[in-house]
Amino acid sequence: MRRLNHLFAAAALSALLGVAANAGEFKVIANSSVDTAAVSLDDLKSVFLETKMELGSGHVVPVLEKSGPAHEAFLKDCLGKSDSALSTYYRSLVFTGKGSMPKALGSDADVVEYVAKTKGAIGYVAASAAAASVKTLEVK
Amino acid sequence: MSEIREFIFVRLTKVLFALGCAGMFVSALQAQQIPDLKVGNDTVQFHAFASQGFAYTNDNNYLTMNTSNGSAAFTEFGFNASMQVTNKLRVGAQMYDRNIGQLGGWHPTFDWGYADYRFNDWFGIRAGKVKTALGLFNDTQDTEALYTWALLPQSVYPIDLRSNNIAHTGGDVYGSLSLHKAGTVGYTAYIGARSFDPYGGYNYFSANLGIPIVSNSGRAAGTDVRWTTPVTGLMVGGSFMDQTQDRKGYYTTLALGAPLGTPYSFVANPQRTSAAYGDYTRGNWHLNAEFRRDHYIGDISTTFGPVFPWNGSDKAWFVSAAYRINKHLELGAYHSHYTVDAPFIATDPNSNHIYDEVATARVDVTSWWDVKIEGHFMNGYGDMFSAHGFYVANNPQGMKPSTDMLVIRTGVNF
Repeated sequence: MRRLNHLFAAAALSALLGVAANAGEFKVIANSSVDTAAVSLDDLKSVFLETKMELGSGHVVPVLEKSGPAHEAFLKDCLGKSDSALSTYYRSLVFTGKGSMPKALGSDADVVEYVAKTKGAIGYVAASAAAASVKTLEVK
Repeated sequence: MSEIREFIFVRLTKVLFALGCAGMFVSALQAQQIPDLKVGNDTVQFHAFASQGFAYTNDNNYLTMNTSNGSAAFTEFGFNASMQVTNKLRVGAQMYDRNIGQLGGWHPTFDWGYADYRFNDWFGIRAGKVKTALGLFNDTQDTEALYTWALLPQSVYPIDLRSNNIAHTGGDVYGSLSLHKAGTVGYTAYIGARSFDPYGGYNYFSANLGIPIVSNSGRAAGTDVRWTTPVTGLMVGGSFMDQTQDRKGYYTTLALGAPLGTPYSFVANPQRTSAAYGDYTRGNWHLNAEFRRDHYIGDISTTFGPVFPWNGSDKAWFVSAAYRINKHLELGAYHSHYTVDAPFIATDPNSNHIYDEVATARVDVTSWWDVKIEGHFMNGYGDMFSAHGFYVANNPQGMKPSTDMLVIRTGVNF
């Protein structure tokens, strides 16, 4: 009986960890025009904070998700900002004329579709999202 | 009769226009969408903000409002349009208007408007009327949605003197340099003609003290460097600005010893501002601090008497902390500290400083609508020539040493 309890506890823990890992994963995708296969976390952060406009030899345009696990993970792991802090940051650019509000889309599928058809676009989606029409960048 | 019809028609047209604008604004907010406009292959982005405040003080009237009776004459709004013309070229412009007590007076101003060409990540240029990078908040101070506070620390960001540093008509060079593991450095260097506001604090007190200003001109040049450090959430920076000022006016009082109508001129030599600041975010905490030094000395010349030296130098700083409880509520507090080097009435111990202790609750009703409730506990009222909130004209009975104030402010933006 004790062994059964241990097995049950182990299964529950691994299931919990599995869910948590999946919930926190994202992958970075880019339009086929973006001529790099990998991007550093610092460069990725700079692109999404609009202080860096180039990757490889080309111009890039950040695309956000409005919400969801991939969005939350990206904010935490890449930008180090909360959703409201990021929104405040973009507003500060917009109301001084020193940047523009990036496109924010409602789902992984919308982001993939937009990135696929927009030259220079770079975004993020859930690690499990279908993204055959775009290139996936390795985050170093 | 036709004049009445014309009057009614004009008023009706204005009312319908205002209602139309308000309807579009609310629709945009409710949809939480930016109403982009396609021009050929390019997209024009539109954004706007508006805020309304109410201030009540126990004694002294503040910021040219009749706050001792409670005042809602505290309105600001602005809207802009911008377009990414090419990958490297962006253009845009913003209109701004305010009515804060006797300041602004609903006179719309061209807030900024320029072309921005970014050659690469580390070098770009802006030309036109550009918001001036100075300290943490100079270029963003008008948009209350960006802050926890209903009022930014008035020691460093006095609403009365907003226009003095807010923008310059000229050019910037700017960029961002990666230091790899040592973080990122952003820089801005600029030069241009200063902006002056005939409806701002200096003009207001000058007119009321019998030395109205007729013209103001000058240039501003400076630099701002901010380092996003490898310590997660920590940014530190510094700014320096050198300005010239040539102000002309005339006397409408005999109290200062010159005949009525005597012209005067004021030339600043020097007028320099230095700032050091830091911003730290960790979890739900957000901390800010800034120190500001204004070295502001000049000569007042008239055709009547000798040159009169004037010292308007001051020091100011603030520290603030805010904690976000949840998505809808943020609490914060700051201490704001302002001291005058050489008050006009040296014997008055309350005229050489304004200290302000502040506590705030910010409620984010939605992502585009906030409401703030803020308490201020001020000591001192500053120099009568400093234009930092307290004016002789609004307090003819004399000023009390301390002022408590309640501010309620709400704002929307998209």
